[in-house]
Amino acid sequence: MLYREAGQFKTSYSADQAMLTIPLDRWFVFALTAFAVIGVPLLASEYLMVSILVPVLILSIAALGLNILTGYCGQLSLGTGAFMAAGAYLAYKIATNITWLPIWVVIPLAGLCAAAIGIAFGLPSLRIKGFYLAVATLAAQFFLLWLFVKVPWFVNDSISGVPPAPPRSVFGFQVTGAAAGNEAKYLFVLAFVIALAWIARNLARSRIGRSWMAIRDMDIAAELVGIRPLPTKLSAFAISSFYCGVAGALWALCYINSVEPTAFDINRSFQVLFMVIVGGLGSVLGSFLGAAFIFLLPIFLNSAPGWIGYSVASDTITHIEFMLFGVLIIFFLIVEPHGLARLWQIAKEKLRLWPFPY
Amino acid sequence: MTRPGDILLSVKDISLRFGGVRALTDVSFDIHEGEIFAIIGPNGAGKSSMLNCINGFYHPQEGTITFKGEERRQMRPHEAAAQGISRTFQNIALFKGMTTLENVMTGRMLKMKASFVEQAFYMLRGRQEEIAHREKVEEVIDFLEIQAIRKTPVGRLPYGLQKRVELARALAAEPQLLLLDEPMAGMNVEEKEDMCRFVLSTNHELGTTIALIEHDMGVVMDLSDRVVVLDYGKKLAEGTPGEVRGNQDVIDAYLGVSHD
Repeated sequence: MLYREAGQFKTSYSADQAMLTIPLDRWFVFALTAFAVIGVPLLASEYLMVSILVPVLILSIAALGLNILTGYCGQLSLGTGAFMAAGAYLAYKIATNITWLPIWVVIPLAGLCAAAIGIAFGLPSLRIKGFYLAVATLAAQFFLLWLFVKVPWFVNDSISGVPPAPPRSVFGFQVTGAAAGNEAKYLFVLAFVIALAWIARNLARSRIGRSWMAIRDMDIAAELVGIRPLPTKLSAFAISSFYCGVAGALWALCYINSVEPTAFDINRSFQVLFMVIVGGLGSVLGSFLGAAFIFLLPIFLNSAPGWIGYSVASDTITHIEFMLFGVLIIFFLIVEPHGLARLWQIAKEKLRLWPFPY
Repeated sequence: MTRPGDILLSVKDISLRFGGVRALTDVSFDIHEGEIFAIIGPNGAGKSSMLNCINGFYHPQEGTITFKGEERRQMRPHEAAAQGISRTFQNIALFKGMTTLENVMTGRMLKMKASFVEQAFYMLRGRQEEIAHREKVEEVIDFLEIQAIRKTPVGRLPYGLQKRVELARALAAEPQLLLLDEPMAGMNVEEKEDMCRFVLSTNHELGTTIALIEHDMGVVMDLSDRVVVLDYGKKLAEGTPGEVRGNQDVIDAYLGVSHD
């Protein structure tokens, strides 16, 4: 940022523990939020809002969820897609069966159901770690998707198996389904993003966040200071699955406007995992950066040749996309495991001293 | 220096076996309130195993451990922590990805009672507790003179400071019994002197009972009120540093006996 941090003193612990300790940072975030709430719906085009911002914001929620589990608590999971699917199918089930329930209650409720499922699949984490746990969560991925496809109860015995999202309104504006207005949809998703990002940040700086990180960094020492491993790991699984469930519900109801299993397959799990790795493990900001980066890169690759008056076959672009992702993942794993968020932090540290080396 | 108080921890006839290996055999001793108690012995004598038993990591097959008058056999480490036992490790066991401040804050873990919702919204007790415990943690940070590294991730700190942060984390829990596993290992003279000062002032000013394992005999003799000597899992001697130093068995164990 274009301001100096020197001389900005704090005189109380309460000020030192604020979420954003520097006043200008605080103003910047307030301004950004205000712009996202007021400016974007007025200025942005339909394409930008519905096809780019809405999916990026929803995937940010999923990335936040996985970051809580993998980045903060150190439990590797490949079941993100399944927990998103749980949120999506159960949101549909609840919304269509309890029609009087407002949609802004239905989605967190679906998240809670996903959390319960997450706890069940998190139980092995007490005994197994690392790659073995990843394989155990992979079981969740395949089992849950199989269950939702196989049992027609989840989709109210819909013949196609891919029911359209039920149209629901908040304050008289329709927010779900194909007929919903762009602005209403965008603001509905944004409200969830702001609330969940704020909660994630609060959890990370509270006792529960410290106990997750303690388990991640050294579980024996964590037990020594009085952290019980099982409840701590399960709480990370529950909260992570809650976030993924909410993201899945929003994805189905507000973005693709139908509940379909292909949207939540293993590729989705990997996509969210890449977002977390590229964005930065253990960082709320990183979840957003990663989601935006991974989602926008293919779009950028598709349109960039056009901007410079050069045409490339679309399958070539797909190949380039694959190669680029592979390179990026390896690059981040080797060079900067803390991802874009850490790069941003390093840039800030360098700029603080610039033009002097130290 | 010696202030013989009531018995805080009593270890009776502890035997610990790993398969055929007898790590500890019928070891008994008492630790009194307010003293600095040293456990010494050659490598592999069972010193760390003893601490692990007291602290709940190992469960001895025989014998009893009585803490604050309550006897117990099976106990998990977090239960020991809840009863007021904290410890440091021989090879530092800090949370490497967290800052000094966060590490020390984890020491207050058991004293924090805010509900999940209060933490999620950082309101009411969620917020009050963070600030109240921060004040306590700052006292420990002042006490151990680590103010300057408050916001540094501990992974970046030099070894000596990491040891100090680990002590800070243990002290933040306000333990009644503090177990120190080789607190001076791998330190230079200056760092050792600092650490001795901190151990002594912890004992004098905070009144914490300390049980420590240490190989530096100079440190042990200067710091401790009483010493127990282990060798091959058996107790060789117990007493004041002076008594132990004069004990023939102890001299034999450390220097070896000629078999001629």
